[in-house]
Amino acid sequence: MTITTDNLKDMVKAISTALSDSKSDLNALDSELGDGDHGTTICAGFAAAVNAIEEAQTPSEVLQKTAMTLMNRMGGSSGALFGTLFLRAAMTVKEFDDVSSELFGAMWQAGLEGVISRGKAQPGDKTMVDALSPAVASLAQASTAGTSLGEALRHAASAAADGAQATANMQAKYGRARYVGERAVGHVDAGAKSIALMFGAMADYWAQMNAAEEDSNGEA
Amino acid sequence: MAARTKKLINQPEHILQDMLEGFAAAYPDIVRLTDTGLIVRRQPKAEGKVGLMIGNGSGHEPAMIGLVGPGLFDVNVPGEIFAAPGPDRILEGIKEADRGAGVLVCVSHHAGDLMNAEMALELCAMEGMDNVEMVVLYDDISSAPKGQEPERRGTAGLFFTWKMLGAYAEQEGVTLAQCKTMAESIRDNTRTLAVAMTPGTNPVSGEVMFSLPDDEIEIGMGVHGEVGQGRRKFVSADDTIDAMLPPIIEDLPFVAGDDVLVFLNNSGSLTQMELFILNRRVAQLLEEANINVYKTYIGPYATTQEMAGFALSLCRVDDMLKALWDAPAIGANVRVVQP
Repeated sequence: MTITTDNLKDMVKAISTALSDSKSDLNALDSELGDGDHGTTICAGFAAAVNAIEEAQTPSEVLQKTAMTLMNRMGGSSGALFGTLFLRAAMTVKEFDDVSSELFGAMWQAGLEGVISRGKAQPGDKTMVDALSPAVASLAQASTAGTSLGEALRHAASAAADGAQATANMQAKYGRARYVGERAVGHVDAGAKSIALMFGAMADYWAQMNAAEEDSNGEA
Repeated sequence: MAARTKKLINQPEHILQDMLEGFAAAYPDIVRLTDTGLIVRRQPKAEGKVGLMIGNGSGHEPAMIGLVGPGLFDVNVPGEIFAAPGPDRILEGIKEADRGAGVLVCVSHHAGDLMNAEMALELCAMEGMDNVEMVVLYDDISSAPKGQEPERRGTAGLFFTWKMLGAYAEQEGVTLAQCKTMAESIRDNTRTLAVAMTPGTNPVSGEVMFSLPDDEIEIGMGVHGEVGQGRRKFVSADDTIDAMLPPIIEDLPFVAGDDVLVFLNNSGSLTQMELFILNRRVAQLLEEANINVYKTYIGPYATTQEMAGFALSLCRVDDMLKALWDAPAIGANVRVVQP
């Protein structure tokens, strides 16, 4: 099974909805370590991205429009980093009409590399990289093992969630949270949490869509 | 954390635009608000002079919109509350500031400000604009130890750079490279330490930005409510200065015989009375150390909403910097007129 342009649009919508549902949680996490507006900012970014991708014709266009909207609408470090994540993903799927399981892994791999080179954070620094990196590793593993896309997404989502949770025990080295020093320990990083919500939303969307298709196949 | 409800705003998502419109309506002789939300000088700088621009998160007013004008910045790109503007808006600001002699993109060192400025410079390179430079400024001694100065964040003490760099860039024949060197030199002679007593409210979320026990103050508080690293019991104005000034002096270090500018930045809700009482102790201690105060500036520049606190900054100056400090500047919130 491959991911079509419409599927990708639906994924961006699902991400937007999932983030909106957790907006106040994300703000609360951010107020422990940052300035308390991560939820508001990222929700506004993805809500604008949902509108921006309406007319997109290819997977690359969906991801690129999402990237540019996040970058310019959110601003700040999260705009730069989430924007870079989607921009690199877009560059990876250029020339493709739909996204295979392997390509899906490769595009987030490229996104992760972009985020690291832009933000300079490594795994363990209590940033979004700590959720993104295990998700990307899980997708690569699934691709090698030939796991179905649904299964691969579910594992990636759970790896991202575990990675986000693990940031609670880390000391921040980047962004505003770094200035909190040891007091950051005990709080989950809001950017990592957003990545976990993002992969969770994509996995849930894919599972529901397939369940719906099976239902309609059953009726037929 | 308890939500603060009394903020005189309309809808949270309209804060930036509402503020900019009100600001531009108040100072039409000094600034103009563009359709895309940039604050630019009403009378552009003469052709052939270096343009100065900065992008930054809003919510710190009068920084930086109040520092656009002759002898100061040419263009300010205000971002959303506490978030640097994105690269496309910074690029637009660079184009606005260009008077044919290049543009210096100033960055107050925070992760988002730096990343977005870097991306804007990449966009400049793609468009073939090669006469654009970036300078990253920092001053807060609490945010990284001595020896790791480039890791420090940019706070209230950058006011010294903006004022004197602004005056420098007005001079005929000054080049982009010289402006960058001047900015770095002022930065390298500036040190700041801040303290906070009660938090400000994030105007978008309505949440207070940190919590602090009633009888404690936090030394090293950042301009977005980033908690600092040292809490101490709240005692008095003199006790607070006694804790803050020595680490500032030791960090540069400022030594006997130095001439310095002193700046007490009101972070939001202190009274002028309190700032004058604080400055009394600053003046006493500097005199004891035989450090000469050339000029003192007291007032709000970089605020964090209604946070109660202040930043104390010193800048070592020579005759050239003294002349730049005294040079005329006409911003909405910073005015220096020649005597």
